[in-house]
Amino acid sequence: MTTPVFNSSDDDLSSGSEIEDLLCGTNGGERYGKRLSGLLAAPVGLDEDTAPRPLSNFGRTRDRWSFGDSSRPVMGDASQRMRHERRLSDATSDAVHRAIDADHISPAQLYSTDSGRLFHAGTMVIILVGLPARGKTHLTVSLTRYLRWLGVKTHAFHVGDYRRAKDGIPKDYFKPTPDTPEGKEYRANIISKCISDVMHFFDDDKGQVAIYDAVNALPEERADVDRQFTSRNIKTLFIESLVTDCNIIENNISQAVKSSPDYVGWDAKEAAADYVSRIHIAEPFYQEIDPSEGLSFIKSINFGERFVLNNSHYGYLINRIVFFLMNSRIKSGSVYFARCHKNFLKFKSDPDLDDEGRQYAQQLTKTVLAHVGATKGLDFITRSQNNTPPPYSGEAGRQKSHATDGIHDDAFVIWTSTRRRTIEACEAFRELGITTRERIQLTQLNPGDVENMTAKEIKAKYPEDYKQHKRDPYHHRYARAESYHDLAVKIEPLILEMERMSGDLLIIADESVLRVFYGYLMACSCYEIPYLKFPTSELIEIKFNAYSNTATRIPIHGVEE
Amino acid sequence: MPVYTVSHVQNVRVCVVMVGLPARGKSLLAQKIVRYLSWLSIKAKCFNVGTYRRQTASQPDASFFDVENPEGLAVRVEAVNKAVADMMSWYGDEAGVVGILDATNSTRVRRAWILKLLRENRIEPLFLESWCDDSELIMNNILDVKTTSPDYAGKAPDFAVSDFLARIANYEKVYETLDMETDKDLTFIKLINVNAQIIINKIETYLESRIVYYVMNLHIKPRAIWLSRHGESMYNVSGQIGGNADLSPQGWAYAKKLPQIVADSVGPGELTVWTSTLNRTQQTASNLPFKKLQWKALDELDAGACDGLTYQQIAEDFPEDFKARDDDKYEYRYPGGESYRDVVIRLEPIIMELEKNENILIVTHQAVLRCIYAYFMNIPQEQSPWMDIPLHTLIKLEPRAFGTMVEKIKANIPAVSTYKEKGTFELGVDDAKVNDVKNIITRA
Repeated sequence: MTTPVFNSSDDDLSSGSEIEDLLCGTNGGERYGKRLSGLLAAPVGLDEDTAPRPLSNFGRTRDRWSFGDSSRPVMGDASQRMRHERRLSDATSDAVHRAIDADHISPAQLYSTDSGRLFHAGTMVIILVGLPARGKTHLTVSLTRYLRWLGVKTHAFHVGDYRRAKDGIPKDYFKPTPDTPEGKEYRANIISKCISDVMHFFDDDKGQVAIYDAVNALPEERADVDRQFTSRNIKTLFIESLVTDCNIIENNISQAVKSSPDYVGWDAKEAAADYVSRIHIAEPFYQEIDPSEGLSFIKSINFGERFVLNNSHYGYLINRIVFFLMNSRIKSGSVYFARCHKNFLKFKSDPDLDDEGRQYAQQLTKTVLAHVGATKGLDFITRSQNNTPPPYSGEAGRQKSHATDGIHDDAFVIWTSTRRRTIEACEAFRELGITTRERIQLTQLNPGDVENMTAKEIKAKYPEDYKQHKRDPYHHRYARAESYHDLAVKIEPLILEMERMSGDLLIIADESVLRVFYGYLMACSCYEIPYLKFPTSELIEIKFNAYSNTATRIPIHGVEE
Repeated sequence: MPVYTVSHVQNVRVCVVMVGLPARGKSLLAQKIVRYLSWLSIKAKCFNVGTYRRQTASQPDASFFDVENPEGLAVRVEAVNKAVADMMSWYGDEAGVVGILDATNSTRVRRAWILKLLRENRIEPLFLESWCDDSELIMNNILDVKTTSPDYAGKAPDFAVSDFLARIANYEKVYETLDMETDKDLTFIKLINVNAQIIINKIETYLESRIVYYVMNLHIKPRAIWLSRHGESMYNVSGQIGGNADLSPQGWAYAKKLPQIVADSVGPGELTVWTSTLNRTQQTASNLPFKKLQWKALDELDAGACDGLTYQQIAEDFPEDFKARDDDKYEYRYPGGESYRDVVIRLEPIIMELEKNENILIVTHQAVLRCIYAYFMNIPQEQSPWMDIPLHTLIKLEPRAFGTMVEKIKANIPAVSTYKEKGTFELGVDDAKVNDVKNIITRA
C-alpha cells in the first residue's frame, strides 16, 4: 500500500503559491476564515451563498434541533436543490480544512448551547509539541475531523502552511532559536501571523477549539504561547507526540518525502537527506514537556501505545479528545465502500440474494481482489489471515487482543449489515478465509411510515412533515422513521473502531449508511450527506493521508448502475 | 426496533482487574463502571472479594490481613478463588461482557495468576490502579468506608479508623504498584491522586477505551447532586404532554420556595444550577442565587406527533402507539419523537459532566429525571420509565463507596400528579394499587 501515511507539521500538502498570494497579497484585510477557506479547503458541490443552513440556534420546535421555525432555512425548489446534490465525482476531496460558518450544525452533534459552543466547555487551544516526523499533522487533522463531526467548531492552523507562503526561508529558521537576524525575523513573523489568525478564529468566528500545529521545542516557547492564550481566557492543552520506536520515525520520513509539498520534484534521496537534516537541526534543542512547567498536557507515546495526562481537569471535552486519541491510529490501509444489491427493498424484507445479486457479488469480489491484489500484492489474503492469536505464552509479553480485527497493516476485514443480501454478497470472500463481520449498526435507515411512497404521495399525506423534511433532510425523521442523525449517533462506535484498524476495511451496506460513513471521512456537512450517491456499479476507495483523505471510484465491470 | 449499544460486543469480553491499597476508592470505581455499562445496556457485574471473605470472616480486625497470619491468608485466598470462579461461570452461563474483580490485587504474583487465567479463557484483562498519597483524600475515603462498610457496622468510630489504618499498613508491606517499565506490556490505566495524573497503557479494544474514558471522568471527592422537576406547569394542570408551557400559580409558588429548600439542604456551599432550554425549568430556577447553565440535552423526551396532546387524546387518535408504548416504554419512540433509549444517548455527555463536577442542582423534566435517577441508582430499564417522580420535591443524591444515598425533601406545595399507570390514560397515583416500581423513588 503506497498511501502517504503522514508527515510532520512543517510538511503539509497544500499548495504554497496560493498561500503566498493570500497571505502576502492584497487581501490582507480579510479574516483568516475567508483566506484559509480559499487556500486550504477543497471546493465542494454546495454553493456557499445559496446552501441552506440554520440561521439561529434559539427557540423551541418539536424537533430536537433548536432553531426556531421562522428562522429555519428554506431549501428552495427541487430544481435548485438538484444543484446541491453532491455526486461523488464532485465530492472526492476532503473538506476537513474548509472554514465552517458560525451556526453550522455538525453530523453527530447531540445538542446545541446558547453560546454556540458544545458541552458548555468554553474555548480552548490545543498546542502540538514534537519534532518533525512525529505525526503532529496527522494528529491535528484527525482530531479536527472528529471534533467537527461531534459539533465542536474546530479549525487547524499549521505553521508549515505559513512558512511555505514565504520565499527564501533561511536554513536556521528550523532552529528553535535561529542564529541570524534574518532567521529570527522570519520565525517571529511567521509564528505571530499564525497565532493572530488563531485569535481571529476565537474573536470573530465563534471558534471553540483551535489546533496550533508547530514544533514548540522549548519550554520558553511553550510558556510564551500559553501566556498569550490564557491571558485572553482561552484554555490551553498541550499534546506532545513522542516516538521511541525508530521504525515509526523512518516510516514517517519516507512518507514525508513522498507527499510533502516541500519536496515536490525532488530526488527522493536528496529530499530524505534534507528532511533528516531539518530534524537534526531541531533535535539538540528539543526538550520534552516536564510537569514542572505547570502546563496541562497529554503525552502520546508511539502513537497511542501509552498516554500520560497531567493536570487536565478541564472536563468532558479533553476527556473526549483522549478517548478519540486512544482509538486513533496512523492507517496504512484504505476503507472501501460497496453498496449492497437491491437498495430499494422494503425495510422489513430480508430475502436471499437472487441470481442477479449473486452475479453482482461475483463481480464485486473480482474487482476487490484485483484492486487490492494490485496494490498490496497478490498474496494479501494469506497475510491478512495472520491475526490469529498465539497460544498463551507465560506471564510476560503482551498478546494482541484476540477480539481485535484489522490491527495489522496487512489485515483485510469486511463489515456487512445483518441483512442477508449483504452477508451473502461476501460469501466468496469468506470462502477465501477473509474475516467478515456482521454489524447490527450497519442496518439501513428505517424509512418508517413513508416507506415506498413517492414524494408526491408523501406531500399529500404528510404535508407538514414533508415541508420539514425538505428544510432539513439530515435531522428530520418521519413517523416511525430514523433520521441520518440517528444513524450517525448509532455508528459512532464503528467509526472509532474503524479508526483503530490499520489494515483495509470493506464495508458492504445500504446507501444510507455509506453516506454517513463517507460524510465523516470526507468531512461533509449535514446538508450534503443525504444527497451523496453510491451507484452499485462502483467501488469507492478512501485513502488516508496526514493532511486530507482522498476518495476514488473504481468501476465494477458487468454491473449496471 | 434496533438495539443500540455503545460497542459491538459479540466477540469481546473484558475483565477489569482493580489494583490498589484499601481506601483508594476502588469499590466506588468498580460500582460506577458497572452502573455506567448497565445503563448503556452492556452486561456488567462486579465481584467484590471482600463480600466473599465476609461469608467466613464477617468482621475481622487488622491482624487478619497480615501476610504473616496463615489463617487469615487462607480465608482470603479462598475468597479470591470463589470470586474468580463465580466470575468465570458468569461469563459463560450469563454471557457476561465486562466483569470487575474488586480486590486489592496488590502483588505482581497475584496479578500474573489472574492474567494467565483470563488469557486462557480469551478474556481481555484491563488493570485499573488507583494510586494515592494525598492524605486528605485517603482520610476522606476512610471516613466514608467507616460509615458504610459492613466490616465496621456497629463498631465505635475511633476503633474503626485506627483498625482500618492498621489494615492498610498490612497491605502496604506487600504492595507492588504498576510500573511503567516492568508492566509495560499490560493493558492498564493508573490514576494518580484521582486524576491529577493519569497513565493509559496499551488499550487494545474499543470497549476498553470506553471504560477508560468513563473512569477519567470520575472523581471520588465527596459531593451531592440535587434533582428537581420543574414546578407544576399549565400543561400539567390540563393533562397535556410536551410543549413549552409556563408555570401554573402553584408552580410559581414552588419556584418561590425553592431557594429556601435548597439553602437548607446545601448549607453554605456553592452550587451550579443546570436547566433545560424550556420555560418551565428556567422559571422554576429563576429565584436561585447561583450560576445557571442551560442544556438542550436536558429538554423533555420529545413526544413528536403527540406533543401537546393529553394521554386520552393519544389513546383515541393513536391507539396502536398508545398500546405499543405501554408494552415497551423504554424502546418505544413517538412518531417523529424520541424513546427513553434516545434520551439516554443524548444524556451521556450530561452524565459525564455530572461525574466531573462537584455540587450540581438539575432542574429538568420527568422522563429525563427518570433516566438520570436510573443511572445513579442502577434501576433496570424495564423499570425506570415507570417510576413516579412527584412534582414539588427536591431529591438529594450522595454517591458513596457502597451505594448512592437518597434523600427527599417535600416542598409541601400541592400539585397535580402526572403519573400514568400502565393500561390507562387516567393520571394520578392510585395508592390502593401495590406497585413496587412506581414507588421506587417515593419510598426510597
